Amino acid sequence: MRQIFASLWFALHSAGQNFRRNLGVSLAGVFTMGLIIFLVGGSLLFTHSVDTVLQGQEQNASHLKIYLSDNASLAAITNFESRLKTDPRVISVTFETKDQAAHQASQNPDIASALNVLGSNPLPASLNLNVRKLTDLSQFNAEAKATPIVDSTTPTDYNSDVISKLNTVITVIEWVGAIIAIILLTISIVIIMNTIRTAVYSRRTEIEIMKLVGATDWFVRWPFILEGMLGGLLAAIFSGAVVFGAYRLFVQAAQGNLLSVPFDVRYTVTLLIVLLVGGVAVGAFGSFLGVRRFLSA
Amino acid sequence: MSVAVAERSSAPPQHALRPVISFHGVSKVYPNGTEALRDVDLAIHQGDFCFLVGPSGAGKSTLVRLLIRDEAPSTGRIFIDGQEVSRMSHRKLPKLRRKFGIVFQDYKLLTRRTVAQNVAFALQVTRPGQRHLREKVEEVLWIVGLEDKLDKFPDELSGGEQQRVAIARALVHRPRIFLADEPTGNLDPDTSWGIVQLLLQINHRGTTVLMATHNREVVDLVRRRVIAIDNGRVVRDEAEGSYLREGTATL
Ligand SMILES: Nc1ncnc2c1ncn2[C@@H]1O[C@H](COP(=O)(O)OP(=O)(O)OP(=O)(O)O)[C@@H](O)[C@H]1O
Ligand SMILES: [Mg+2]
Repeated sequence: MRQIFASLWFALHSAGQNFRRNLGVSLAGVFTMGLIIFLVGGSLLFTHSVDTVLQGQEQNASHLKIYLSDNASLAAITNFESRLKTDPRVISVTFETKDQAAHQASQNPDIASALNVLGSNPLPASLNLNVRKLTDLSQFNAEAKATPIVDSTTPTDYNSDVISKLNTVITVIEWVGAIIAIILLTISIVIIMNTIRTAVYSRRTEIEIMKLVGATDWFVRWPFILEGMLGGLLAAIFSGAVVFGAYRLFVQAAQGNLLSVPFDVRYTVTLLIVLLVGGVAVGAFGSFLGVRRFLSA
Repeated sequence: MSVAVAERSSAPPQHALRPVISFHGVSKVYPNGTEALRDVDLAIHQGDFCFLVGPSGAGKSTLVRLLIRDEAPSTGRIFIDGQEVSRMSHRKLPKLRRKFGIVFQDYKLLTRRTVAQNVAFALQVTRPGQRHLREKVEEVLWIVGLEDKLDKFPDELSGGEQQRVAIARALVHRPRIFLADEPTGNLDPDTSWGIVQLLLQINHRGTTVLMATHNREVVDLVRRRVIAIDNGRVVRDEAEGSYLREGTATL
């Protein structure tokens, strides 16, 4: 116990000393790390916000109207409707009669007058489908086309173009975000590694003596790893605070303008924890790499 | 210069049957192709005092580095205390190195630490939380005659005094084998003689001492075992030898 405390004290004390003795390099390292964590946190929050907005769009887009032919029997319609209702991909199905369709359409005064002129109702009845995933829509569209009671000239209101574009945008944003995060992560590991190399270099005599008198590798390593963890923690605290503040401002600004981005508390808290743990882990790993070469000699 | 000599213990050096250090056909070729040692056979017993002599580049430091496994031999086997050092795993090296006390020509002191802190460092990094640290440090500093310099910094000491601090640091964990690689290389004759006296005294307490040196006067005055190396080979090994081969100008 006494031994553990003494070792821990030695490591902490040396880590603090390293940090102070190479204050310039240490601060530069923490600052760059902080900037990177800020970029990672910021881009994650941004992606999340865009995702939230797009998911709202997606929900609007996951509707499909299946137009029914005028001479379809009520029994056939009910049969088709219940088949759709039992499909696990489907959230809800509602039946819209010709009258309801006309009523809906006549909300637009132009269409209302056109209907009046015609005297009869040309609008088809429809089954209005709400599905869970945007990507399932094309399958339902194909299925509708193959069903006899569906209007053969205009089977559905499926618009493959808009939907696939929306899909692409979401995937691209997610991928770009992930790639940027990986690149930034690598850069921050390299930065920590070099900060620790400087610390190792300025302590080379001490390390040499430690090895000569028979200190274990871990005893030599710990101060540097702690230093890296401390640096990572500091960077994460500062940039986490900045990310948090910036996110609040962004949400406020967006609300004042066209979009309403919700302030996602759960996501933000999780993100801040991830940034802290990530900063410490990156610091530890970078330092480990930084001292590794020196120790194996 | 006055030399503080502690009381000599009356115990004579004991010769165990098994040598504490032994080399069997050891060669060392550095990665760049330099053959630093060739086919060296050696046996050094507990309590021995040995000089390792030879011209610059003969391989003396290489031999010391092989002992503490700072380098591994290219061929042959090295045993310390019956343990094969040449095939020891990296994990066991700290324990091996705690058997040695070692000093060099450059004292390798930490300039930001005081004399006492420099000595304490060796214990703090190998046995953290050691009890009675201060007493142990003061005791070895008394042995080397620096009991009144505890709180001085290395810059404030003479070369001889700095080497004594290094010796105290090497002694503080009570090593079985004391290695000194040209410990007097930077010192004037009087101061050198004081350091050698100190090493003899350490030896008298039962510690095996191996000292690599160019210092002809010292070797000839002390008259202890001399191992001469030239061009990587052991060319002479005498129980009470001199720096050069008796009556010649060669090793
Ligand atoms: N790390 C190394 N890499 C390559 N060659 C080396 C290395 N260290 C020493 N040598 C070479 O090995 C030979 C023996 O060197 P060593 O340092 O053992 O000699 P020495 O007897 O201690 O000399 P000195 O009296 O000058 O200290 C020399 O030729 C030297 O150049
Ligand atoms: Mg040498």
